[in-house]
Amino acid sequence: MTKYVKYVDVTKCDGCRACMVACKNWNDLPAEPTEFLGSVQSHVKTTADTWNVLQYIEHENGKGDLEYLFRHSSCFHCTDAACEKVCPENAISYTKYGSVVIDQDKCVGCGYCVQNCPFEVISLKEYKDKNGKEYRKAHKCTMCTDRIDEGLQPACVTTCHTGAMEFGNREVMIQKAEKRVKEIQGRYPNAMVYNPEGVGGTHTVYVLAEKPSVYGLPENPKVPTSAVAWKDYAQPIGKMMLGATTMALVGAFVTNKLFNKEGKGLDENGGGSDE
Amino acid sequence: MVEMNLNRRQFLKLSGATAATLAVVELGFNEKKAYAKSKEFKIAKATVTPTICCYCGVGCGILVHTKNNTVVYTEGDPDNPINEGKLCSKGTTLRQLYTSEKRLTKPLYRAPGSSKWEVKDWDWMLDTIAKRTKDTRDSSFVDVENGITVNKTERIASLGGAALDNEETYLLAKLMRGLGVTYLEHQARI
Ligand code: SF4
Ligand code: SF4
Ligand code: SF4
Repeated sequence: MTKYVKYVDVTKCDGCRACMVACKNWNDLPAEPTEFLGSVQSHVKTTADTWNVLQYIEHENGKGDLEYLFRHSSCFHCTDAACEKVCPENAISYTKYGSVVIDQDKCVGCGYCVQNCPFEVISLKEYKDKNGKEYRKAHKCTMCTDRIDEGLQPACVTTCHTGAMEFGNREVMIQKAEKRVKEIQGRYPNAMVYNPEGVGGTHTVYVLAEKPSVYGLPENPKVPTSAVAWKDYAQPIGKMMLGATTMALVGAFVTNKLFNKEGKGLDENGGGSDE
Repeated sequence: MVEMNLNRRQFLKLSGATAATLAVVELGFNEKKAYAKSKEFKIAKATVTPTICCYCGVGCGILVHTKNNTVVYTEGDPDNPINEGKLCSKGTTLRQLYTSEKRLTKPLYRAPGSSKWEVKDWDWMLDTIAKRTKDTRDSSFVDVENGITVNKTERIASLGGAALDNEETYLLAKLMRGLGVTYLEHQARI
């Protein structure tokens, strides 16, 4: 199956934010009142109700000139996704297109994915059931997988009027990105393709005008080794030896130990962390 | 030493959930199919109507998707040569013009000096506007100024909107000049 990539050339973006609104419009996400951040940027980062955020960065370049940089930020749809590896309920999975999606019916709201995503683009939303009991579910950009299924492009890409975003075959998009970097290096000497190897490459691929750190992105993001060992080795062997039901119980226990960084785990009685 | 971090209730809940999943698998329940059924594609079976964005003078084409008597989605019209499917952030919100709770559905009137809005019907509104326009015009009308025939009023101004088309703008200008309005402006020039 062809893998797809959402290509984002930040140097063509004019910061219009139509992509933010298009995402809300397609996914029926509510508006979130936010505090003034001292810049045009509306939200600090993505949230459970705001799946992409336009970053506005005032950057002093090598020549001492001010560069006003923009970036459409959303889920990277990693080839090796930390969120998928640490999820104890197998609620996160890869689609045939390369996108990474959450099944909210399976999600128990433990938040390990939130704590382990190298890009901080997945968040929990709090709900109340009819008895007033609170529960949580993880949400993030789906790469509009429901639209891809029907032969449509993601809503944000569809609306982008500058051509800063495109959607297509992974190889084609990566070639495009490499070509574009050559074109802009005169103006942006640090320009690069951001498709980090530490997570096996991504399905949202950027042409960045500056080093990743300028955009608050990790230079070398990685999937935690423990997550790889657990998901790709220990779990399948455990299932074979102990059977799926028992392994699910052991699994919930082990993931809590390994991936619950902040003690906000499965804590119905406030007992998520034992530190 | 590793301490057991799951309390008893979670333990029961988790094992219950797992057992249920297994039973479902064994019965050959097609999870995918059920999922597809529960979450129908949002614009499936919607009626699609092309329109023009009401906000600015560019006049982008928009497709309005309606279902069960409400607007479920709007998106740039790919066949429109003006915008080729693209939209700005404001045009993208067009659906809220119809669905927003803040939308006004009745004419509201605030009397001079009052801080309250009152609901009025259209007949009252149009009659009142016509009457006051005529009163203001008649009481401020200047026929001759410095020996020159001017036939004007300086107490009324007109501000046209960018979404008006050529024909509407023509009619508006015609009406205003007929009244003697000299402050005849358009948003695009300000
Ligand atoms: S960017 Fe984060 S949320 Fe998205 S696939 Fe990668 S790890 Fe998961
Ligand atoms: S791909 Fe879809 S879900 Fe993801 S940011 Fe764009 S519009 Fe939102
Ligand atoms: S729609 Fe395109 S130009 Fe507008 S903010 Fe998003 S990426 Fe930038």
